This record gives sequence, structure tokens and C-alpha cells, in this order.
Amino acid sequence: MPTKLLTGNEALVWGALRAGVKVVTGYPGTPSSGAIGSLLRMDLDDGRHVEWSTNEKVAFEIAAGAAWAGQRALCTMKMSGLNVAYDSVISIAYSGCNGGLVIYVADDPGVSAGMAEQDSRGFALMSDLPMLEPASVAETYRLVQVAFELSERTGTPVFVRLVTAISNSHAPVAVEEPVPPPEREPILDRDITRYTKAGAAISMAQHRDLIARLERAGDVIREMGLNQLQLAHPDTPGEQPRNTQHATRNTQHATRNPQPATRLGVIASGVVASYLDEGFEIATRFGLDPDSVSVLRIVATNPFPAAEVRELLRHCDTILVLEELEPHIERGVIVEAHRLGFEGRIVGKLDGPRPSAVGLHRVGEYGVAQVVHGVGEALGLPIPEDLFQGNDAAEQLAARRPITVCAGCPHRGTYMAINQAIRKLRLKKDEVMVTGDIGCTILGMNPPFHTVWNEVAMGASVSLAQGYVHAGVETPVIATIGDSTFFHAGIPGLVNAVQHQVPLTLIIMDNGWTAMTGMQINPGTAEPFQPPGGRSVDIARLVPALGVEHFFVIDPFDLDASAATIQQALALPGVKVVLSRRECAIQAQRRGLKAGQVRVIPENCNLCKLCITRTGCPAITLGEDTVLIDPALCYGCTLCAQVCNRAAIEKEAVP
Amino acid sequence: MNHAPRTTHHETRNTQHGTRNTPHASRFTFYDVFLVGVGGQGVLTIGDVITEAALRQGIPANFYPTKGMAQRGGSVKARVRLGRETTGPNIPDKGADLVIAMEVSEALKAVRFVKPGGDFLLFGHVWPPTACMLGQASYPSLEQVLEQVQRAEAVVHYLPPESLPLYEGAPVPANVFVLGAAVGRTGLGQVLDPSEVAALVQTRWAKGADRNARAFQAGLEAMINDQ
Repeated sequence: MPTKLLTGNEALVWGALRAGVKVVTGYPGTPSSGAIGSLLRMDLDDGRHVEWSTNEKVAFEIAAGAAWAGQRALCTMKMSGLNVAYDSVISIAYSGCNGGLVIYVADDPGVSAGMAEQDSRGFALMSDLPMLEPASVAETYRLVQVAFELSERTGTPVFVRLVTAISNSHAPVAVEEPVPPPEREPILDRDITRYTKAGAAISMAQHRDLIARLERAGDVIREMGLNQLQLAHPDTPGEQPRNTQHATRNTQHATRNPQPATRLGVIASGVVASYLDEGFEIATRFGLDPDSVSVLRIVATNPFPAAEVRELLRHCDTILVLEELEPHIERGVIVEAHRLGFEGRIVGKLDGPRPSAVGLHRVGEYGVAQVVHGVGEALGLPIPEDLFQGNDAAEQLAARRPITVCAGCPHRGTYMAINQAIRKLRLKKDEVMVTGDIGCTILGMNPPFHTVWNEVAMGASVSLAQGYVHAGVETPVIATIGDSTFFHAGIPGLVNAVQHQVPLTLIIMDNGWTAMTGMQINPGTAEPFQPPGGRSVDIARLVPALGVEHFFVIDPFDLDASAATIQQALALPGVKVVLSRRECAIQAQRRGLKAGQVRVIPENCNLCKLCITRTGCPAITLGEDTVLIDPALCYGCTLCAQVCNRAAIEKEAVP
Repeated sequence: MNHAPRTTHHETRNTQHGTRNTPHASRFTFYDVFLVGVGGQGVLTIGDVITEAALRQGIPANFYPTKGMAQRGGSVKARVRLGRETTGPNIPDKGADLVIAMEVSEALKAVRFVKPGGDFLLFGHVWPPTACMLGQASYPSLEQVLEQVQRAEAVVHYLPPESLPLYEGAPVPANVFVLGAAVGRTGLGQVLDPSEVAALVQTRWAKGADRNARAFQAGLEAMINDQ
């Protein structure tokens, strides 16, 4: 077996290939995008279908259709995408599946990629679907294969949940050759009692089946031994299990208070389990005898591993629960403890202010610090408070580095044009609501533009704007959205605006790519970049077809014309749509393209910095007597030349 | 301070699924590296090369980069954890044996992670954000940064940006130079075999192999201003 250095996302894909997956769908979302991205780069030609779908709901339904027809299917998304897909997830959970159906969801505790610190384990609970949580990159490769097997053995879709720290980690994995999808005739199974929700009898029977399938999944998970319980000193329950070797160091507490030593049981799930060994080693320096600790490592978080937890509760008198984000496992432990009449302490997020003070709380990632301080809190060990408190005052001194758009980004011209149009209407920026949306277009919130006001969820800009209008805002209301986001969830909002004739201006910033997540294709991407035989869907034809009467197309690199068009649109009644169109500069430059060329005329430059303060372009810096433009970065959008009022930057003919 | 690599006994409880300890990996060094810089400086490439070099030497490694959203000019962080067969990806505060900082202000974001007595390699490149360039926001001085690192009780190795040598008239890649300095000057050189890293740097990029070799060698031999 060759060992490869893989990311968690890639390990997931290799595992799915090994499991003979036939259909893979998804929508890009950090940190999950690397899965399908790496699969597409492999350029496999072995009878599989892999696609970026329009949104996660579409993606999941395609995967579910394939699994109903008996094939193995994988659907990938970030946690926000699961919210979009969930309407179908919960319904398809009721029907179950024939071929293995695996949903890969990536959560982002610690918020390295933006959006909510959502704990998607809650979705597994609500839909009664099994969920597996690998603790490492290598385990991801194996558990995806287990997920397909579990799905087919129990007839139920299975979640695999990773967190950013695993999705984006690179680690060695011993991988086997991909297995081509097995030759399976597609199943055409007509059974309305299973595949429809027609009536209470059908739906409630399906609900019963769903619950039974989850129970069966629990049996299979136990049979597979996925959750690992290691009891300390299993043959001497009731006796003091603590190794006396460390007695002199760690029994200060006990000598004052002559009770039997604490029998600690530690429960850790997912990535948190990967910190246990390191944490125990460190805690040993403060009196922990690691051999005295019983450990339950939970890989399958749903269904709740009640049998293992009960065994642990019978064996121990103190339990420490280590899980990131919400206290799902901890609540389950409390229920089992209640049933057993367990009287010991359960240390976790629900255990009052002290565990919270040492880091066991619902916000942020867990790491070694939570393991060490958790063990210290549970056993009363003298762990110094500042053991993991670095000099965080230093960070406060660092220069803020707000994210801005790249040199040559077409969005820059659109923000500048919106700001100019608002100025020309003699309005202040604080008087004009500009709703924002997901993706690179949200960068208009940052300096120097300060154009966009809010960011909620895919497609939300168009609908939020309508709410502001109905609330009685009398100044123009503007919504901004990118092309992929518009296809994903913006169209229903626009249809609603047309139906109700809500006066607003929607500006669609179409750069041809799903850029923020790493340049994936979307329905509007130019045809040469679509999969073989695929087509491009033209926003310029779609929008007028929805009944939008005032539709304009602008070139964001032509500042005055764009601003004038936006100004005109803002003054018109009804629904106005402005399509601002230019390809993403990063993508265009990868193909060797430039939009134009500019030259600094040093004798005209008085260092007024207007080019920098208006464009915020990273290609422009201050020199001694003149601004400098880095030719390697400059894409030739010429916006700096258009704002310079001393003719110090000149457009040049492209050679 | 003592940078001697730690070793550990084979842990019987360390039998995570799919990552069972293999006998040949039962003795190894634990060494954690935290990297910071600005997107476009090649910070992640340093982490990648360290990881690759470790694996070639049979040292288990986990490399966890955080890129942020920007293509260029945004903050970049990465953690490389060497020596543990099963390891959590994050390094705790005061946990890094070595910090490699490629930019003066960004270095401040890594200070909390350095272990007291650990190595802090600072390449003195200054990349001011636009607001600082325009004088609308302040940029920390080198003295301020060094003071914070010293307050964290780390050993500072300062690499002035002008120490970056030229090759055929153009500066060599700063990241490869800094990698060389890390191997030559810090505890990393006791964990990784310098000739192994040099060989990897040579073969990794077919284009510019000589330039990179020069950069790495210059880094190894760099006069570092230890404080």
C-alpha cells in the first residue's frame, strides 16, 4: 500500500473511490471544497459521475436518486450547505436508501473560514441518521469506507462529519487503489409507501422504520467496534485504581480528605480524541496516572453509544466529557447516569462555571489545553492556570489586515461605481442600504469601499432588501450578489421581487467562477470550461425572462459608465437588475490574459494617494516621489487611471 | 535553553482506528513548528517542505495550514507537528518548539504559541497593509515585536531582510532562504537531516533548482542576529 501525503478532504475522496462510489456531487464551501476539487483533478475515466451542482439541495437529491437506484453515492458540503440540503435530507432519511449514500459535512469550530460555528451533529440527531466522526486524516480514509458499508447494511444514509482541522490537515495515509464502481443494474423500485409521504399512515410507518434503522445501525457500529472503550483496571472495580507510583505527587488532596482516589472516565469524540495521548502525557507531570483513566473514544456519535457509556459509568465515579461545540454527548451521558443512579460528577460544558473557566465551553476549538485542564478539574490536580496561556497581548499590537479584493478584481469597479452613483444622487452612504451576499462579493464591506452592509446566507441579499423596502425605507435599496450565489439561491428571491413588484436594484456581479472557494465552475461559467457536453446558463437571458423590465449590463472596468447606469437604475421604479460582467482576474491571468496596461507618469504624481484610497489595489504602493504599480500584479483594469485627476497614471495600448 | 528533542516510549493506549502505531515508529522526536506570514510569501511551502522531509525520514507529521480567503496579502498560519503517530492538528499556546515568522507584524500573532525557551525565527520583511501605508493605522516597530517575543521567553533569531542574497541579479526566494536558516540555526536542524532537506529543495522544483539550492545554502549559513 503506497503512503501518500493527503489532506482530510483527499483522504475522504480516496476512501470513497476505494468503496466504489459511482456518483459524487456537491457545492463548494470551505473547508469541504477540497474533496470534489481533488477528485476532478484526478480526471478519472472509470464510469463515475462527479459534479459541482447548483446548490447543496440539488446535489443531495442527485446523490439520493442514484442511491435509490442502487448505486453508491457521495454528497459533499460545508455546514451551511447542510442547512440548504436539509429539507430533502430529513425526507429521504424516512425512505432510506438502497445503494450506500454518504453525506460529507465539514464543520468549522474556531471559524477559520467565516460563517457560523454550527455543530452539524444536531442534524444527525434530528434526522435519525448515523454520523461518523474521524479523529484524524488517516482515519477519514478508513471511516468513509465503513460509512458506505454501514449505509448499505442498514439501508440508511450516513453522515461523515469532519472539522476544518482535519479537512485541511495534510498527513500520511496508506491508500489502496481505487475500486471501479461495481456493475449494478439500476433499480427502478415503484413503492409509494416508501418513496412518497402520501398520508399519515405512510409517513408514520416510515418514521417507525427510520427509528428501527438507526437502532440497527447502532448494533452494526458495536459489532464493528467503532467506538473504543478502554477500562482501567477492569478486574478490580471498587478498589483504588490509582497507581501508587505517583502517590507522593498527587495525593495532597487525598491526605487532607481521606477518600478513595477518583476513578476517572474520559469521553472524547472526533478530532478531540486525537489530543488525548498528548494531554495525558502533560497531565502526568502534574500527578495524573494515565493507567488509572478509563477512556471512551467515540467515532460514531449518532446513535448515542449508550451501552459503552453505561459500562463506563458503572466503572467510574467521575466522568469528563470532551467534545467541541454543543454538549450533545454530555447530555446523553447525563441521561444514562440518571438511569443508572450514578452519583458522581460529570465534568463538561453543563457542569457550571469552573469547567467553563478552564476552557470547556461551547465556543471555539478544543485542543490539548482542554484535555489537560479537564483532567485537572476532574481530579483536582494542580495544573497551573497559565500552562497554556501564551502572550496574547502581542497579537493586539499587530497591524490589522482586512481582506480586500485582488488586483484586477472586477468587483472593485462595481463597488466604486455603486459608491459613485450614491454620491451623484447626493445621498450619503449611510442612507443607502446595500445588502450583501456570500462569496468574494462580500469583500465590498471592507475598506476602502465600505459599500456592503450585511452578509447572511446564500441568496439572502435579494430577499433582505425586500424586507427593508417593506419596512418603509424610502432611499434606494440595493442588493449585491455574485453569479454562483445567484444561481444557488438568489433566483427565488428575485422571482419574489418581480411577483410583488418590490422597488429595488439588484446588482449581479458576474465574474464567471465560484471564486472565493477556489475557482470552481458554476452554471454561468463559460462553455469551454464546462464538463464535456455541458452548457453555460446565461444570466443575461435568464433575468429578462423572469419579467424584469429594467435590465442593464455594465463593464465594471468602465467606472463612469457603470456609475451612470447604476444611478439611472436607482431612479427607476420597480425591480431593476444590473449585471456587472467581467471574468475573475485570477482566472483570466492564469490563461495569460491582461485587461489592459497602465503607466505611471512620475512628473504628474503629487502623491495625493487618491488611486490607493479609492481603489485599495494591492498592486499600488508609495514610492519616494510617486506611486508605484507592480507590473507583475497589475491586470490592467485601469481603474486607478480613471480616478487619478492629475493624469499621473495613463492607460496604455496593449501590445 | 535546551532544545534537545524529546522522545517517548511506545504508548499502548495509542491505538486509534486506522493509525495504529507500527513498531518502527515506536521511538521518535516530538517537535512542533508554528508558521506565520502573509499570503504570497510562500509560508505554506515552508510547512509543506518540512512535512515532506520529515516523512522521508520516517518521522510522522501533520501539517495544518490556514489560508484565509485572500489570494495574496492576507494573514497565513500553519502548524507542523512532528513525531506523533496520532496527533491533534493544533499546537496549544506555549507549545511550539519553533516559530517561523516571515513578516514583522504577523510575527506578533505567533508569539502566544512559542514555548518558553523555544526558538523564534523572525525574517524582518515588512509588508504594511494599505491603511498603514496611508498612515491611517499604525504598524508595529521591530523593537516592539522583539520585546513581545522576549516577554514570551523565546530565543529570538532575527534575520534581516537585506541578508537575502542575490542569484543572477535577483533576490533568491525568501521562503527557501528562511527554511535554510531554520534548519541551520534552530532545533529543527536536530530533528531533520539538513542534507535531506537540501535534497528535497533541489528536486521539488525542476525550474529554478540552482536558485533554490543557493537560497537554502545561504539560509543555512546566514549570519543571524541572535538576541
